[in-house]
Amino acid sequence: MATKELNISPVGRVEGDLDVQVTMENGVVTKAHTQAAMFRGFERIMAGKDPQSGLIVTPRICGICGGSHLYCASSALDTAWGTTLSPNALLLRALGQATETIQSIPRWFYAIFATDMANKKFANKPLYQEVVNRFAAYVGTSFQKGLTASALPVQVYALFGGQWPHSSYMVPGGVMSAPTLKDITRAHAIMNQFKNDWLETVWLGCSIERYLQIQTWDDLMAWVEENESQRNSDLGLFIRAALEFGMDKFGQGVGKFLAFGTYLHKDRYNKPTVEGRNQALISSSGFFDGKNYHDFDHRQVLEHVDHSWYENVPPTHPWEEPLPTPLESQNLENTDFGGKYSWAKAPRYMDSAAEAGPLSRVIMNANPNNMDHQIQDPLFGDIMDKMGANVFVRSLARVHEAPRLFEQINTWLTEINLDDEFYIKPEEKDGKGFGATEAARGSLAHWVEIEGGVIKNYQVIAPTTWNVGPNDEGGNPGPIEAALEGTEIEDPHDPVEVGMVARSFDSCLVCTVHAHDQKGKELSRFKL
Amino acid sequence: MANVLWLQGGACSGNTMSFLNAEEPTVVELVTDFGINILWHPSIGLEIGEQVSDLMEDIKAGKIPLDIFVFEGSIVQGPNNTGTMNYFCDRPMKDWVKELSEVAQFVVGIGDCATYGGIPAVEPNPSESTGLQFLKKKKGGFLGADFVSKGGLPVINIPGCPAHPDWVSQILVAIATGRIGDILVDEYHRPKTFFTDFVQTGCTNVNNFAQKIDGGFGKRGGCLFYEVGCRGPMTRASCNRVLWNRVNSKTRANHPCLGCTEPGFPHHDLKKGSVLKTMKHLGILPKDVPTGQSKGIYYLRAGWEKILPYNKTLTETSK
Repeated sequence: MATKELNISPVGRVEGDLDVQVTMENGVVTKAHTQAAMFRGFERIMAGKDPQSGLIVTPRICGICGGSHLYCASSALDTAWGTTLSPNALLLRALGQATETIQSIPRWFYAIFATDMANKKFANKPLYQEVVNRFAAYVGTSFQKGLTASALPVQVYALFGGQWPHSSYMVPGGVMSAPTLKDITRAHAIMNQFKNDWLETVWLGCSIERYLQIQTWDDLMAWVEENESQRNSDLGLFIRAALEFGMDKFGQGVGKFLAFGTYLHKDRYNKPTVEGRNQALISSSGFFDGKNYHDFDHRQVLEHVDHSWYENVPPTHPWEEPLPTPLESQNLENTDFGGKYSWAKAPRYMDSAAEAGPLSRVIMNANPNNMDHQIQDPLFGDIMDKMGANVFVRSLARVHEAPRLFEQINTWLTEINLDDEFYIKPEEKDGKGFGATEAARGSLAHWVEIEGGVIKNYQVIAPTTWNVGPNDEGGNPGPIEAALEGTEIEDPHDPVEVGMVARSFDSCLVCTVHAHDQKGKELSRFKL
Repeated sequence: MANVLWLQGGACSGNTMSFLNAEEPTVVELVTDFGINILWHPSIGLEIGEQVSDLMEDIKAGKIPLDIFVFEGSIVQGPNNTGTMNYFCDRPMKDWVKELSEVAQFVVGIGDCATYGGIPAVEPNPSESTGLQFLKKKKGGFLGADFVSKGGLPVINIPGCPAHPDWVSQILVAIATGRIGDILVDEYHRPKTFFTDFVQTGCTNVNNFAQKIDGGFGKRGGCLFYEVGCRGPMTRASCNRVLWNRVNSKTRANHPCLGCTEPGFPHHDLKKGSVLKTMKHLGILPKDVPTGQSKGIYYLRAGWEKILPYNKTLTETSK
């Protein structure tokens, strides 16, 4: 049967610039290549500059995950300088990370992901009309509610950071702000508004407490059917429609999962060190190879550039990695995928491609070895046993985090001690640092080396680098490349499945997929 | 009804994310109630694939009128002026920008990268980035110093890293409601309605500044100008009048103003000692002084204030 190559340019509703070329046989994707199509060179910009430059520059790498970059940049300096962090400082940083992430849940779900479920591909499904009523862009009854509510959690971020996006309020030694009573009470009130405007009323159709009782896949199914309110909530509808539409049948990926973890506990990271980080995390770190959990060790991270538009160096840990030297790039049409084909590097963990993102996080939350202060939530251990990763499970993981994050935000607000300190001035010195977190869309880390009072080396690996990175040295595909393989394209003239796979990873790139026949001639033009 | 096309070059999407925080009107209300017709946007546009490049070809050919061309992100010209470090729809983005700017009634640059080149243009500027009509303070940029759009204005610059959502939405509403004649721009093409006052206007620590009471990180009260590099007195923007996320501003949260609406941000190109620190002569005299004052006069007045007994109620704070 015919081999076809598919071109869609651009897919859109992901952030940044990415091209993808997929080869299809008998309507099934057999090979996919991802191409990051934009270079800015932030790591080069920081070399030779003030050691604190990362606090200003790195949040501007990504306007969506700016708070997460700041969390990493400040942590990297904490470990390099050996700072002391007060409980209040750790709480205010965790609050920044958590409010940024919970904001992103409705924003991603309604603006980026769910509009695909209103695609005509699903028009013959019984729930289609209700999905359109609810989730269609701009006019869906939940679209504006969700989008408007998403601005509330970042108001809390702004109470402590001044503004969202692009604050630099987390600094080595703590935070800039010293909130007062009225900031805490306003934060509680704003989060309560978020709960009343969207989380419990529109999204869950039940109390947060009820939702958090869910422990297994069967519990979740029973929750959906428990009453009309839950069945017809946006989450209830999403689960029912996703299963009806077959979103659990494609987009499996590499089957290996990586989380750096986040939310450093207020009493467990007052002397920040790289070694002490795993034990201090509230959302645990780790690597899950499909069967077993492994402790996270940042030394297992190597970046490959064989297929990236940079001068060749062997696979290297970021601390030893030279600043990238850009080479000549190509547009998609003229790209040789046997050679270099992307601005993204290919990071590997224990020599494997690994998926980063909310699914990886909730898999780590199900690790039976998690400690008492860490999240213990068996749900996605059970789901992985029953069905493994796919577009539906990945999306469910993202939205599953909202109720727990809401609870954590309220808890952390109550734990702030207004009589205690928020910042302890550190002593600046040379050295190496490592800072990491979980951005909304997955694991993010910064590695810094300071020498002679200036930055000698600064390396960033973003979650999207893990997910959309190209082939590695051994020709093994990255997670999105792998997830596209095996995907059945029902209508090659409307390959919505490709967009859904890419968006289930919440890639921080503008994604373009091009369709060609085997001679490289363009086949068709579509709208996803 | 105004057709808007929004594209991103060397961008972080921060201005888009900021824009999505808009209230009164929200982004949805801009579309449904204010006649802003978003032809396409990379984060929220529904069309994909050839539909987008077809749309752009139709705009280029004049088949679809383009009232407002919004650009976010730097113009990536590298390497060697080819622009191939940033492809969009199989072509260098800079080529699209050139052609679309020629047919648009108004061109709006949003955020520092589009206005001045922003952080990507910090030395050594690895992507050869520039702004639409400025590179830092230097007029010219990508479109040239003489560029005027069909509507008779140069690029309207809405700087900030990111730009405040209201700065963007109110200018879009002004254009859509026929008030373009009321938009006056300053030497950097910023709408004066938002960029005449300084960040210090409305800062809750302005009395501390007047009486030279130092603040610092983790402290309540005090002015951030003296130690941690606040640029509020040198930065034109309405951050303390039109609050951020409706609740706050950097300086109200004890975060020094970084001067991000002025060309040159990040100031002093991130050189050692310039980040979150006040650069000084002789260890005491700030190198940057409030706009409109000579250094000598400022030092004299500040020294005078510093030795006078200040109003002690200003140092009272409460948790």
